[in-house]
Amino acid sequence: MAAGYRAEEEYDYLFKVVLIGDSGVGKSNLLSRFARDEFSLETRSTIGVEFATKTVQVDDKLVKAQIWDTAGQERYRAITSAYYRGAVGALVVYDVTRRITFDNAERWLRELRDHTDANIVVMLVGNKADLRHLRAVTHEDAAAFAERHGTFSMETSALDATNVDRAFAEVLRQIYHVVSRNALDIGDDPAAPPRGKTIDVGAAKDEVSPVNAGGCCSA
Amino acid sequence: MPTNTHTIRYNTGKKSLFSVHLMSVKFEDLYEFMVEGNVDDVNVLNEVRERIREQGRVWWALEASKGANWYLQPKISSNEGVISVTSLKLSVLTNTITLRRLIRKGVPPVLRPKVWLSVSGAAKKLSTVPETYYDELIRATEGKTTPATRQIDHDLPRTFPCHPWLNSDKGQASLRRVLVGYSFRDSEVGYCQGLNYVAALLLLVMKTEEDAFWMLAVLLENVLVSDCYTDTLSGCHVEQRVFKDLLAKKCPRIAAHLEAMGFDVSLVATEWFLCLFSKSLPSEFLMSILRFDKCLLQSFSLALRALNLEEMRTRIPPDAPTEGT
Repeated sequence: MAAGYRAEEEYDYLFKVVLIGDSGVGKSNLLSRFARDEFSLETRSTIGVEFATKTVQVDDKLVKAQIWDTAGQERYRAITSAYYRGAVGALVVYDVTRRITFDNAERWLRELRDHTDANIVVMLVGNKADLRHLRAVTHEDAAAFAERHGTFSMETSALDATNVDRAFAEVLRQIYHVVSRNALDIGDDPAAPPRGKTIDVGAAKDEVSPVNAGGCCSA
Repeated sequence: MPTNTHTIRYNTGKKSLFSVHLMSVKFEDLYEFMVEGNVDDVNVLNEVRERIREQGRVWWALEASKGANWYLQPKISSNEGVISVTSLKLSVLTNTITLRRLIRKGVPPVLRPKVWLSVSGAAKKLSTVPETYYDELIRATEGKTTPATRQIDHDLPRTFPCHPWLNSDKGQASLRRVLVGYSFRDSEVGYCQGLNYVAALLLLVMKTEEDAFWMLAVLLENVLVSDCYTDTLSGCHVEQRVFKDLLAKKCPRIAAHLEAMGFDVSLVATEWFLCLFSKSLPSEFLMSILRFDKCLLQSFSLALRALNLEEMRTRIPPDAPTEGT
């Protein structure tokens, strides 16, 4: 066990990514699908904070993603400033079948901007995309949001695993690019927010468009 | 989880039968929760059960000599620290002391509903309102939709979903009534995520919905730090600060280690406090250590103990290095 643990510790970068969004949009299941390839219909509501890590390959580097998941209820926002500290990426999650959770994404984004570095990589994630017949938020809505706020966007289904790995991978890849492009000295604190040039979201946005996203044509 | 840190203590001769330590065991506990653990976990649970059984004998003996309701005398449930000795008969005082000592050692499961209701002050609270209070409250809330009820409906299927009763229509309806009822009783609290776990556990222990409701009320209104669950969770902030101070004082090495890693302990401890440990400890184990008369003090010492166990488990070296890459 100890040996396996140590092996997992081998990585080039450690990126902290936070999951935010209204209660019940599927944050915990996105996390478990990404980290352990598991989905549970019997998820317990998250209180406080939960974490998971997964190491993935980005270009020729090993990137360890440390994903943080928290409670979605509004009053919990007051206790989560420590939650955002050092985050270099975020998935703002909404439920494609519940319009209100999409409308609230803007507030979540504001929350994020208030607590994190301006260069944080943000991906708007419309989860539960498998529930096609119940859709309440269109691709166009999401695209317009992403355009307006300079974020990436993607639709996922934690249930059938569609795009989950891809959404996380894309966020990690973008973070890595920011970090490597700026040749930052992050040796002391790999989780530190990347500073310097902002990411050119305009160029990448079309590549990661709703549902059939992907197109990870890295430079 | 009460894992291998306990192994040495409980490694008695008869348990040496279990030599395969990685073997996973699944069993149903007293409150119908499925518990999955290794043999060490089972050993700890058996130990707890045995202790509770012994305590049960003490309680029965007392009932036999003093009468079934010996601890229900009016002054006994007084939670105020100052008790005027002159105003109390000696027997009442002895009973109070006996009760405190007994509760410290754990209450037998069958007596829990009665003892909790009495000792927590819930019975007293209940006695100040008309008998029909709960039923009327529930009737008044029927069909009403508020932000609280919406969040409650969202959380019902996500509250211990693996528990057979809590996952049934009947169980969820009960839990809903308790939570919705309380959200109308105290609109400042309304509903806060986390209360679903507390209320669910109270339902399982107290057996009746109304008693669970009054236990929830007394916890939020009299026992716990105030404003733990209100809009800004300010009471919860206070608890976390106190806990951090206590940690620095009682477990300086752990505190220093966490500090060096830049890890804010409230990130994990918030859940412990807001759910009264119900999400993080097996229910049966939890019940036997949660003493509601001193719930708060208990929470702090429990949290400290949890971190202590963790330290033993992971063996934090004296000067734990925290390299970045």
